[in-house]
Amino acid sequence: MSAGYRQQPNSARKDGKRVAGKQVFPPPGSGGSDPVMKERDLNFIPESVGGKEPQPAGSHIHDRIRTGTVIGKPLPLVDSNAKVTGQAWYGDDVRLANESIGKILRSPHHYAKIISIDTSKVEALPGVIAVATGADSPHSFGVLPVTKDEHAMAVEKVRHMGDLVACVSAVDEATAIEALGLFEIEWELLEPVFDPKKGLEDHDDPIHWRGKYHLAKTNVQKRVFQEFGDRSLVENPFSSSHGKWTMAGVHHGFTEPHAVVAHWDPNGRLQLYTPQQVPHYTHRALSTVLDVPMHQINVIRTFVGGGFGGKSDPFPHEMCAAILARKSGRPVRITFDREEVYWINRGRHPSNIEVKMTADDEGRISGFDIDALIDGGGFASFGHVTSYYNGVLATAPYELGSFHYTGARVWTNKPASGAMRGHGAVNTRCAVEVGLDEMAEEMNVDPIDLRLANLLPPHSRTITGFRITSNGMREALERVREGSNWDEKFRKLPLGKGIGIGCGFFISGSGLPIHWDPNRFPHATVHIQVDMDGGVTVHTGAADIGQGSTTAVAQVVSEVLALPIEMIHVRSHESDTSPVDLGSYSSRVTFMNANAAIRAALDIREKLLDAAWDILGYHPNTLIINDRRIYYKHDPAIGVSYLQALHKAQEDKGALISSGSYRSPPMGGVHKGAAAGLAPAYSFSAYVAEVDVDIELGLIKCTNVWAAHDCGKALNPLAVKGQIIGSCHMGLGQVLSEKMVYGRTGHLQNANLLEYKIPSIHEMPHVEPIIVESSDPEGPFGAKEAGEGPLLPILPAVVNAVYDAIGIRYNDLPLTPDIIFKGVEKKRKKLKLEEATELPSPRFTHGPKSIELQKSLMKRSQEHKKRDLARQKTEDTSPYVNGVLFGFDPNIPLEDQVEGWRMATEPDPEQLAELGLAGRAWLKKEQRQMESEK
Amino acid sequence: MLMPPFILHHPSTVEEACKISAELIKKGEDFDWVSGGTDLLANYKWRINTKPHVISLSNIPGIDSVSNLEIGCMARLSSLEGSNVHPMIAEAAGKVASSLIRKSATLGGNLCLDTRCFWYNQSEDWRRSIDWCHKADCGTGSDCRVIPNQNTLCVATYQGDIAPVLMVLGASVHLIGPNGERVMPLSEFYQLDGMKKNVLEKGEFLLKVTLPKDSMKRIGSYQKLRVRDSWDFPEAGVAVSWLEGDKGSIKVATTALESIPREHKEEVSQIIAEGWDDKSVKALAGAIRKSVKPVNNTALPPNYRRSVVQVLVKRAFSQIK
Ligand SMILES: Cc1cc2nc3c(=O)[nH]c(=O)nc-3n(C[C@H](O)[C@H](O)[C@H](O)COP(=O)(O)OP(=O)(O)OC[C@H]3O[C@@H](n4cnc5c(N)ncnc54)[C@H](O)[C@@H]3O)c2cc1C
Ligand code: SF4
Repeated sequence: MSAGYRQQPNSARKDGKRVAGKQVFPPPGSGGSDPVMKERDLNFIPESVGGKEPQPAGSHIHDRIRTGTVIGKPLPLVDSNAKVTGQAWYGDDVRLANESIGKILRSPHHYAKIISIDTSKVEALPGVIAVATGADSPHSFGVLPVTKDEHAMAVEKVRHMGDLVACVSAVDEATAIEALGLFEIEWELLEPVFDPKKGLEDHDDPIHWRGKYHLAKTNVQKRVFQEFGDRSLVENPFSSSHGKWTMAGVHHGFTEPHAVVAHWDPNGRLQLYTPQQVPHYTHRALSTVLDVPMHQINVIRTFVGGGFGGKSDPFPHEMCAAILARKSGRPVRITFDREEVYWINRGRHPSNIEVKMTADDEGRISGFDIDALIDGGGFASFGHVTSYYNGVLATAPYELGSFHYTGARVWTNKPASGAMRGHGAVNTRCAVEVGLDEMAEEMNVDPIDLRLANLLPPHSRTITGFRITSNGMREALERVREGSNWDEKFRKLPLGKGIGIGCGFFISGSGLPIHWDPNRFPHATVHIQVDMDGGVTVHTGAADIGQGSTTAVAQVVSEVLALPIEMIHVRSHESDTSPVDLGSYSSRVTFMNANAAIRAALDIREKLLDAAWDILGYHPNTLIINDRRIYYKHDPAIGVSYLQALHKAQEDKGALISSGSYRSPPMGGVHKGAAAGLAPAYSFSAYVAEVDVDIELGLIKCTNVWAAHDCGKALNPLAVKGQIIGSCHMGLGQVLSEKMVYGRTGHLQNANLLEYKIPSIHEMPHVEPIIVESSDPEGPFGAKEAGEGPLLPILPAVVNAVYDAIGIRYNDLPLTPDIIFKGVEKKRKKLKLEEATELPSPRFTHGPKSIELQKSLMKRSQEHKKRDLARQKTEDTSPYVNGVLFGFDPNIPLEDQVEGWRMATEPDPEQLAELGLAGRAWLKKEQRQMESEK
Repeated sequence: MLMPPFILHHPSTVEEACKISAELIKKGEDFDWVSGGTDLLANYKWRINTKPHVISLSNIPGIDSVSNLEIGCMARLSSLEGSNVHPMIAEAAGKVASSLIRKSATLGGNLCLDTRCFWYNQSEDWRRSIDWCHKADCGTGSDCRVIPNQNTLCVATYQGDIAPVLMVLGASVHLIGPNGERVMPLSEFYQLDGMKKNVLEKGEFLLKVTLPKDSMKRIGSYQKLRVRDSWDFPEAGVAVSWLEGDKGSIKVATTALESIPREHKEEVSQIIAEGWDDKSVKALAGAIRKSVKPVNNTALPPNYRRSVVQVLVKRAFSQIK
């Protein structure tokens, strides 16, 4: 039997009685369930510190704390047992004694003023417990402090069909539903706006009013202008492309509908249970709306049945539940029907995007112009940020001669758009990648070679000043090219079969914490507590929404302390016990929380090693920390068990406690909007998709995807692959079948999961996930994000593959069969063909010039490959900024080298006439400017 | 979503079912039949035309028989897949909805499926916001939203998969009610408009489907157009069959294009009369395209659905040559 806590044999008196206070403290066991220490797993210890794990991208600062325990190994998520056994408690699983059921009265009108609400009949209905209206919630809130334009329930007016008007709680659901029919409301109908183009124009009643900052009398919520680089390069292009896109709005389609339970406990504190991605913002918003200090509110994040950005705003129904519960003194539970999920929306913005690109005769991208008009629906939500992301996140991974972006987000009388996986980057990315393909075709060169010859290297700066650290873009492109057998297929497949490429670039954590100054407060904090039992409790506010953040945090602690993962217990559900965390958005969690967790774990590790030093007499530098044992490097027999070291460390102080935090380094430029898109690291990805197009019916079947994603280091390859495959599924939905259909009358026609067509398992292609590890210098063990970036490339890869299959460029998403059919018919008639099956397949038509260019691109990419490797391994540490490819000196500010080098965030007056659709927002003036000109 | 309240009746014989319906009619109380409930109950939850009484057929033994000449109304679609019925029936049944739904769904319910429309298959709140639709909320005096300014007709679409297949196999339906039993060809069972749907009288239900002896000799094909390969209702469907080599036996039927599924006897006989040759399939496809009149109330636009009917006809024929 292994050593354990048994009564010591000699501790009894002769008469058999025990001697008080004389028991010898028993020798501690090993902790964990396996009595035997596991061998050090050298395959998962990096080469740089004597292990066998290959490091093609060079060593990492965290290598020395690797123990070979769990990092890099495929690991089922730690909460998966709870989920597959049905024991995970989601929002609607919370049942408190004496609960009442809340229901929300929603607007039947698109846009209307509320003249009066009479609740007397509702209150008189037996079984009704509490009733609330906008009058109970005068304070506004919103996810971004700059745009607080929401209320718990409509104050003054409703802004879209389904907007919240009032709420009621009752003894049961049937009574609550009956009560909704008894509100008597007098409306004054207003003229609704549905078309985002109309949103750019003046309106008698703008949907919101921003006072002196309001743009004329339009419905423009945010406008952006950015112009960087040498605009003279755009003139007389060698090649160009021009795409005008219409992209439908899409919804996250998470499994769990929103649900909330609110309860004011006997001490008058609010306990609010909600499946939130960002519990901290809800916490703040509740405090504002309810007029209660934050410390009197405990936000309890339940298990989250999928979020994808759709559960990251503080929501009005959360406020409604709290208000009803406060009024009635009884817990209130509100669960949405699927239709209500669509009313609250926050999905991807319906977008009108125009992309113009130019290239010079060396195949360098000289011009990159984007105009994005995005439809925000009724509220601001994250829209301020989306407006920037649509432009700035499209620039990399390429080196550009110039970049020009105009963006506008308008309010319309539809459910609000917001953040969705790949926030703001997905639609323009698709347009840009298809534009590149079009240019490659015009130049008759391979689109992969065109990309490979125009990539920014590792440790460089993008045209808008983002600091790029690790960069696995090149490897990703090379690997999908090889994996898909691209060179044998591209432009060679028969009609109806096609192959296409697309790339992606995404932030790994937004560099700016929305609510505070990053120089004063850290982005993320993690607390660790280890008590006598040896179990490690980790407190974090990171919200696991299914992406596996709890597992990631547990893994890094397990790795640093060399403890089996089942000894790490992550507590992340309650704001009372977890340190403040900004939440699960912008793919920040692993990068920031795992970094904070490593710091906290290092502190504990140091204490353990010091204790072992005390016992063994060997300096920590000569000690090895392995599975529940610490021992002398040169003689493993000399060592202590983890529990021995722990108990030694606990002498005089009891439980070990530590705290670690993550702060981002200073980065990026100073221009207006420079913070949007800044991140401590960026992920890169490249996908090749293969499609079969039924040319007569217009049906597309995506058959294969080779999906390479640079996540820095796969802490858990199983989870990374899951994210890649899941992203493919989600992106395929947007490109093939998903859309929020607003019919002739402005109503959302398909607010249900039968008509909102998320691909089923039948539509899934075979996905080959390819993990690229560029080892990010600042990421935890080298890791970067893998949750959002992998979605981006699938859209353009499919659109480009469809072109390869049938030779038609489509600019409308989704590519539903009727859209494909229309395109085919148009072309068939143009070519005067009898049958669609006679359409020509696109083929290379090489001439001497294009062969020359193709060769020079391949040569350049070979040279760049060497350049990139040297920079990746920090053998070359010279500065590199966007522009070097065009012959500029990275050591001298570009504006000093080129006359007319632009870095503008507002258009020049002479530019106004030429701005694109969204750019027209710049023709209007803000109220304050109009005032001062009067 | 909450199910609205109703009284559920559970007759255990066909006679008892007829008796209950007769009594309810006498008392002036409205009711619906329910079999698998996969269509009716979804509509009930949306509070579409709910009734105070529902008579379930699921407790009646013996009306779920499956053979190649007779299929009872309570036969589950999952039991048709892989059974000895005509392979076209098995195929069409296997293409309905999803495997989970097919476990409950029945043939009777499929044939008597309610017509669909995206202004109609919506929640009560939703319909209130469009000021109701003529079919869902009779009595509000509201208009049809698909073809406005007329409120006597409903053009909701019949989107069942199995009816066209049974039609081209020459199936008959047996209807039973308080006034006895009647038999008719399936192609005469359906009746315009989208609200009337079929010839069933109040109190009558569809008892079984019978097939002519030569039906097993027919070879044919069913072409279903849909966005996703599971769940999705047909956006257009074409069934074709013949007794091999006998052009006079050609039958063609379409579904999901109008308020009723339809056999295209006229178009077929006209083309045959012109002499059947290589070009006849194309001509027939064109004739059927001309004859169907889809409207804008399903997922895909009507122009598209109408155009691709030709492709479906062509493909169906290419399968039987
Ligand atoms: C997500 C989803 C997808 C679907 N996809 C398809 C599809 O692809 N193709 C397709 O054809 N259908 C589809 N359906 C519809 C439906 O599931 C099937 O048509 C099914 O066969 C209906 O049978 P049931 O027994 O469930 O009908 P029920 O819901 O019980 O009844 C349907 C209607 O018929 C009446 N009825 C039922 N039995 C009789 C009878 N014996 N005599 C007279 N009237 C009767 C009922 O009163 C009701 O009006 C789908 C349904 C759902 C929910
Ligand atoms: S076709 Fe007209 S009447 Fe019929 S369900 Fe649709 S909107 Fe209503």
